[in-house]
Amino acid sequence: MEDTEFDDILDDWFIESLKTYKDLHVYQLEHPTQVIEWTSGKTVCVAGYSLSKNEILELRLPLKLFADENKGLCAERDFKVAHGGFSDRPVRCLKHIPGTRCVVTNDGLSSNLQVWDLGGDDCDVIRRTGSVAGRRTVSERGSRVAARLSSPPQVLHGAQSSDVQLTELNSGRALYKLETDSADPLSSLHFVSDTVFLAGCCNGSVYIGDTRTSAAPQLSPPPASSGDSDLWWTDTSAGQHPSNCRVVRLSSSGRAVVSDLRSLGGAVCQAQLDVQARCCNLDDVSVSWAPTISDCISVSGFSGVVQIYNTCGWSTELQERQPLFQHRGHVVSSQQTDDSIPVFTTAHSWHPELPRTLLSAASDGSVHVWDWVDPEQSAADSPTSRTE
Amino acid sequence: MSSCPNIRNTCIQSDLPAHLFLSQVRHESTGLPIIHHSGYVCELPTNHRFPMAKFPRVLHFLLQDQVITDRQVWVPEIASKDLLSGVHTEEYLSNFINGKIDEREQRRTGFPWSEGIVRRCRYETGGTVLAAEVALQRGLACSTAGGTHHAFPGYGSGFCLLNDLAVAAKYTLSNSSTRRKVLIVDLDVHQGDGTAFIFKEEPSVFTFSVHCGKNFPLRKQQSDLDISVEDGLEDKEYLSTVEQHLPWLLESFRPDLVLYDAGVDPHWEDELGRLRLTDEGLYQRDLYVMKTVVSKGVPVATVIGGGYSRDIDKLALRHSIVHRAATQVWRECGM
Repeated sequence: MEDTEFDDILDDWFIESLKTYKDLHVYQLEHPTQVIEWTSGKTVCVAGYSLSKNEILELRLPLKLFADENKGLCAERDFKVAHGGFSDRPVRCLKHIPGTRCVVTNDGLSSNLQVWDLGGDDCDVIRRTGSVAGRRTVSERGSRVAARLSSPPQVLHGAQSSDVQLTELNSGRALYKLETDSADPLSSLHFVSDTVFLAGCCNGSVYIGDTRTSAAPQLSPPPASSGDSDLWWTDTSAGQHPSNCRVVRLSSSGRAVVSDLRSLGGAVCQAQLDVQARCCNLDDVSVSWAPTISDCISVSGFSGVVQIYNTCGWSTELQERQPLFQHRGHVVSSQQTDDSIPVFTTAHSWHPELPRTLLSAASDGSVHVWDWVDPEQSAADSPTSRTE
Repeated sequence: MSSCPNIRNTCIQSDLPAHLFLSQVRHESTGLPIIHHSGYVCELPTNHRFPMAKFPRVLHFLLQDQVITDRQVWVPEIASKDLLSGVHTEEYLSNFINGKIDEREQRRTGFPWSEGIVRRCRYETGGTVLAAEVALQRGLACSTAGGTHHAFPGYGSGFCLLNDLAVAAKYTLSNSSTRRKVLIVDLDVHQGDGTAFIFKEEPSVFTFSVHCGKNFPLRKQQSDLDISVEDGLEDKEYLSTVEQHLPWLLESFRPDLVLYDAGVDPHWEDELGRLRLTDEGLYQRDLYVMKTVVSKGVPVATVIGGGYSRDIDKLALRHSIVHRAATQVWRECGM
């Protein structure tokens, strides 16, 4: 594609984005990231995943994003690197330990975790301060990690269901170990309360355990009619009491199943999503509940877009559903040649408080932060006179 | 007075027949001419990004702050299809006026088509043409709208549906027994790509644009003089950039009229622009441009150009800077 053609496409996209987004800022990393982790309301961590040296960066988002009513007052519209460091291994998983300036990472090749200090006001270097051993010394898979606010800091981690362990960060002491019969590779770990956690397995089954008890965890099988070759990713609606916590499971074929945490055997509703999978790099698929707006889930990793679905109105019958919104920015802004691999999204994350703000990253190193306009809501608004 | 039947000046307060009224206007309206029409606005869908409400607010603040009185206000006629056809294609004008613009083209303009939007764009263009006319008579005139420089002959783009500056320039050229020259000074933060394209082969119109390279449109056209500036440029450097070029342009091109797009989107608070001018910076810029042109004996007509903010009043006040600077020039130059 000629440069002028590409510029034209970007110009078209710019005008369209004025209508479809309340805010949109783009940033270009030198190397793509597969992790986006909030370390505060205004900062995120990203990191490279190449086999050799990788940067870990803490980015401060454009302040303009947070200016709320007086957006005009805040001219700062660029991302800034607040802190940075180097890892000599790929970073496939990165989790912030709440209440600290500490993150843990995993390289996707073994189950051990690396521990990092993000630095403070006086120091802009991210330093490695230690490591946490995985439960099994030899592991071919990377660990999933979950952390919640606790004192002293603790981290839940494991590469498969039989390896999940809660470790005290400072001492390295194992506080809890999940005991399961089978060793199912994990796709995620989530805390649903201070002590109750969910381990989502790649095969679609789910363990619910409680770190206070050594009693056997609850095991829920994969959703009915799950194919043998299906892979599953899971997310739980966070911050709520376990009694009204919901779980979404998404398969590699684009089927999304929503269940109540307390009755995972059944489905509250499900849908066949239009994920437009052109390539599926299994590490990059991500499904997430919106933290503040109800019933919305987001999906990325199947292609170059991030999709948002409204589960309200889904039925128990498997029907095809269209996304409420699609962020196409990574696709539009990547200049593709015929023989190059299409860009695909590698990670996305909702802002913990701003209702419609998300961050997304793609394989070309682009990072976008966007505040999308709900098309259903703006259609419902009736036109009002703009005259005096 | 104008020989074009489409343009006459009217006082919003008087019902006098035009020919009787003209002498009264000439006598009383010795202040800076301000061109305004209540039809500069139309309804837009709620939360539409274009700050449509700003146009009447510009006039409101100028009156409220007693910068002007309503006797200075001149009301344009709607631009006729004939007038518009000096720049726009027959096909586009037909489609535009009759609502046949397709979905994709509408998307590129940023506006959903409506009869209201057609009407307001035609009034806006009529306003810029009247400003040019009045400037030629009085030396200086300022519209409270205008600057739709992304419109091309056959399509609209970036909130611009008709190119008012081009229509005004074309009208000025054709409505004269002598050969006229027009200089378009476009200091909106976005390149005046439509205007550049329209007058690419026209030696009687010189297009001069100072814009931020990284802003829309990324696909640039070629003005007669393009100055592409870096993100974050501040008052002092911006002004010196204008100072570097305007005087020699006036000297070498010797226009009979300057059309000045005083867009306020180089302001640091602008939501879309990437420069860092302050209110004072805009004021000094506008003062410099108008003083430099007027003191060379060249008439100048101004339009407000682009500005994007969700705070309409703040934006309108910013747009009124050019009118305040013009009032200063009017006074200082004893016009």
